[in-house]
Amino acid sequence: MTKFSKELVDDLAKKLLIGLSSEENQMVLDEFAIIDENLSKVDDFENIKDVSPMTHALDDFVFSLREDKASDSVPIEDLLKNCDQIEGREVEVPKVVGGEN
Amino acid sequence: MGHYKAVIGLEMHCELKSNSKIFSSARNTYNETPNDNVAPVDMAFPGTLPVVNKKCVRDALMMSMVLNCKQPEYMYFDRKNYYYPDLPKGYQITQMESPVGVDGEITIECNGKKKKVYIHDIHLEEDAASLDHYFDTSCIDYNRAGVPLLELVTEPCLSSAEEAVAFLEHMRSAYKYCDVSEADTKKGQIRCDVNVSIMDEDATEFGTRVEIKNINSFGNVYDAINYEIKRQSELKDQGRYGEVEQETRRFDEESGTTIRMRSKVDAIDYKYFVDPNLPKFKIEDSWLKEIRESIPLLALERKEKYINDFGLSEYDAGVIVKEKEYAEYFEECLNLGMDAKTASNWLTTQILGEINHLDVALKDFYLTPNLLQQITNEVNKGTISSKQAKEIFYKSVEEQKEPKTYISSDMAQISDQSELEKIIETILSDNSAQVEQYKSGKTNLFDYFVGQVMKNTRGKANPVVTKEILKKKLEK
Amino acid sequence: MDKTILELHELLKNKKISSQELVAESLKKSHEIQEKYNAFVTILDDAKGTDKIDHLLSGIPFGIKDNYSMKNVLSTGSSNTLKDYVPFYTATALQKLLDVGAIPVNKTVLDEFGMGGTGTTGHTGIVKNPWDPTRMTAGSSAGSACAVASGVYPYALGSDTGDSIRKPAAYCGIVGYKPTYGMISRYGLFPFASSLDHCGVLTRSVCDAAIVVDAMKGIDEHDMTSWDSKDIHLYENITKSVEGKKLCYIKELCNIEMYDNPTEELQNHLKNFKEKIELCKSLGMKVDEVSIDPKLLNALPSVYVAISCAEATSNMSNLTGIIFGPRGEGDKYEEIMMDHRTKGFSPLIKRRFVIGSYILQKENQERYFKNAQRVRRLLVDAWKELYRTYDAVILPVGTGVAKHLDGSKDILTKDTAALEEHLQIGNFGGFPSITIPDGFIDGLPVALNITGNCFEDEKVLQIAYALESKMDYKNQIAKEVK
Repeated sequence: MTKFSKELVDDLAKKLLIGLSSEENQMVLDEFAIIDENLSKVDDFENIKDVSPMTHALDDFVFSLREDKASDSVPIEDLLKNCDQIEGREVEVPKVVGGEN
Repeated sequence: MGHYKAVIGLEMHCELKSNSKIFSSARNTYNETPNDNVAPVDMAFPGTLPVVNKKCVRDALMMSMVLNCKQPEYMYFDRKNYYYPDLPKGYQITQMESPVGVDGEITIECNGKKKKVYIHDIHLEEDAASLDHYFDTSCIDYNRAGVPLLELVTEPCLSSAEEAVAFLEHMRSAYKYCDVSEADTKKGQIRCDVNVSIMDEDATEFGTRVEIKNINSFGNVYDAINYEIKRQSELKDQGRYGEVEQETRRFDEESGTTIRMRSKVDAIDYKYFVDPNLPKFKIEDSWLKEIRESIPLLALERKEKYINDFGLSEYDAGVIVKEKEYAEYFEECLNLGMDAKTASNWLTTQILGEINHLDVALKDFYLTPNLLQQITNEVNKGTISSKQAKEIFYKSVEEQKEPKTYISSDMAQISDQSELEKIIETILSDNSAQVEQYKSGKTNLFDYFVGQVMKNTRGKANPVVTKEILKKKLEK
Repeated sequence: MDKTILELHELLKNKKISSQELVAESLKKSHEIQEKYNAFVTILDDAKGTDKIDHLLSGIPFGIKDNYSMKNVLSTGSSNTLKDYVPFYTATALQKLLDVGAIPVNKTVLDEFGMGGTGTTGHTGIVKNPWDPTRMTAGSSAGSACAVASGVYPYALGSDTGDSIRKPAAYCGIVGYKPTYGMISRYGLFPFASSLDHCGVLTRSVCDAAIVVDAMKGIDEHDMTSWDSKDIHLYENITKSVEGKKLCYIKELCNIEMYDNPTEELQNHLKNFKEKIELCKSLGMKVDEVSIDPKLLNALPSVYVAISCAEATSNMSNLTGIIFGPRGEGDKYEEIMMDHRTKGFSPLIKRRFVIGSYILQKENQERYFKNAQRVRRLLVDAWKELYRTYDAVILPVGTGVAKHLDGSKDILTKDTAALEEHLQIGNFGGFPSITIPDGFIDGLPVALNITGNCFEDEKVLQIAYALESKMDYKNQIAKEVK
């Protein structure tokens, strides 16, 4: 079991693309200690592994899948009006090299 | 180089055909204009939600069945979380826990031999946006974001680049026969990840697995696998097998080599979890039944049928089923009442030759089965010779006019028995000397008489009927 | 603006007052309240009234929590990550109100993206309690609660992931109602934790809550978790008799003996609650005391934190400043995203993300996330079991009155944690749940909550309406007591 450490917190934050101050880091550590303690008690529940995890608020949704009909695109002005850096009809970012996919 | 056994597994991503995207109603069509097929959820505007496209689920289930996979009772989706500029939500909606199919197997043919390929799973997911790279910037086009993708993952059960490509070709054909995808590698609709390891012939444990990601053509799959087998084998030969790392590489087309991207240690934890915005969907048995019943015959099944039921040669049947549109053309000919062998001959020789020559798709070829039949009917009636038939074929294709335009009464053969008999009798009596010589054993004179008939009729005498009459008269 | 929806509607219909006058009054009041309590992100000063009065809500001003997407109006989620975001589309639930002629006059402050229960973490600052500005409103629908309690308008939209409508309503002396999950479309609501997020409303009476939710609800093709509720008529059925209805309360939460060294406030709160139980009985309802495994109840807060943080960290991964929100600085895309997120999120949210991310890690998921989801089911099953016998569960909200701002950290003492957090059950199970004021302690409002089984919203509102009618806290407007 990986225990929470300052380094782990920083690593997690970095992967979330979030910078933490050292105070913030310490706050996470404190907060997590409580949560860890509380959640570790869950293991004590009898036959907890036999319970199927509840992933949605309702188990008995009645719904249908969407029919395959296309509709018009959102106008380009709307798509880009909140974007701070555009080039033509596209969103611009610094050159992306390597990485995922 | 020592001889090792290669162990290969494949991941094949294929874009599905549909009117709208998998989780939004934006159009799913190729669009040159950037950001012109975009619904709010495709760019992850706050508060937008995904809504599942029924057709995509249906098509995915169909392919799950084609691969003889088990379908789940409930279908739902998971989030695969990572940050990348082409992924606006910061997660990709995919299937991890309950994919549309698991534990499948399918038989393919490789070099004339049957091979069983085991399928780990097949799942439905969304594509990412595409990036256009410039000098020091990249631009994001969200047209592709949310395009439906079907990803199938094989067990590591293939043993050569040939087998891998045969499997991919087989699947490409299946996607097309089922009409769920255009499956066009040229349009980037199929992308593959390959994992390769080698082991001693008699070893029981797998070697170190190297993954090559995002290969965009079957030719490159072939080259990447062979390069990787060679690279790993050479290291093993040199006693440096320890240098083969569990890592992700990419294929560099220019050099024909694979290049390291990242090691397993750097692998991303995708923190998969069930997407709460997409409820668990019960897949009704009646729906599965309906889908199962609508699966068309696939290439290998058609091939067997053509050989067994229609008497085609293995070769011709193989050529016809190679593409769905060939098989469809062929079967349309049969539906029109054309003889199977006649249809097959026309298709595999003249027609395929001509579309190849003209570089057009068969569906765009002028001479449809209906028009072809105008020619074959006349040949059958004996109105025209097979030589004439071919001439008419090319003329019709060239001038884009119906074949019947060229089948005039003028060019019609003389097939009428009594008319030919009259002509032949005259010729025989005019050539009584030759008739005597023939009867006394100079049988090679037969062709002389045929030639005289043709000369007399300016080539329009039906050769078959002519020969029959001549034989009868001369044997008398 | 201190009137009920029905009263205002009568005035409008009889032309005793115009919609434009109501809007003007509401805007004026908005500025006053903004000055005093900081309840709004945006006041829509150019709001116009309407002459077309064809619905109970036509022409009547209302407020919108700032996590509802609204076309051409700044919609921030009270976060710096969206401090300049102007959507091009309107949330379904809000659009339905606009369609019947309701008039939006402001967008209210929340705890950043609804994460937090204090009303202190919005990017525009702390929202103060109109009964006592040294106290919190609680959150996250802080501005909505403050404004409705202050009489800016009869209702404001809220959202509720843990208790974000029902808790601030309690501390502001008003009604907070979240219907069954999926009855109101979530399309256009900025997500916090999708499996727990509910839209809802804050009002000063049960009847008003029924009228507003009747207008907001309905199946939406943009939200697969929404469902068809055309056979549910909340307002029409609200006065139905509750005689013979069966309620229960949970011994472990409601009995003062369960607590070591209870504060005087808690004693008063629970005593007051028990008096209201007697009131229920006088209405012809049967009320039983039931018992729930304390182990289960005590797990509740952590289960909530685990599930909500995990979902939130994923839900808010779209906030990178690439497509919308202020673009971060940097030479690489990672730096740009990181700069945006580091500057944009408050410390509370960042902490929650880190926790959520840890919980979702492959090696931790089983132990934390999946176990939390399992306990969620056990809790929901326990409540569903109660609903086999009872029409609703009635419980006190929190441990008393609104907390002081200077002690604004939610200090959870272990033995009151479950009492403080039990409203989250309503989110776990998607249950319809309504909070109504049930008294005062030291001049500050306290409340009780009624939670029923899924799809039984009519019944829950009937019980709340009947009980409300027997008490003196209907339509109360906050007045500063200190």
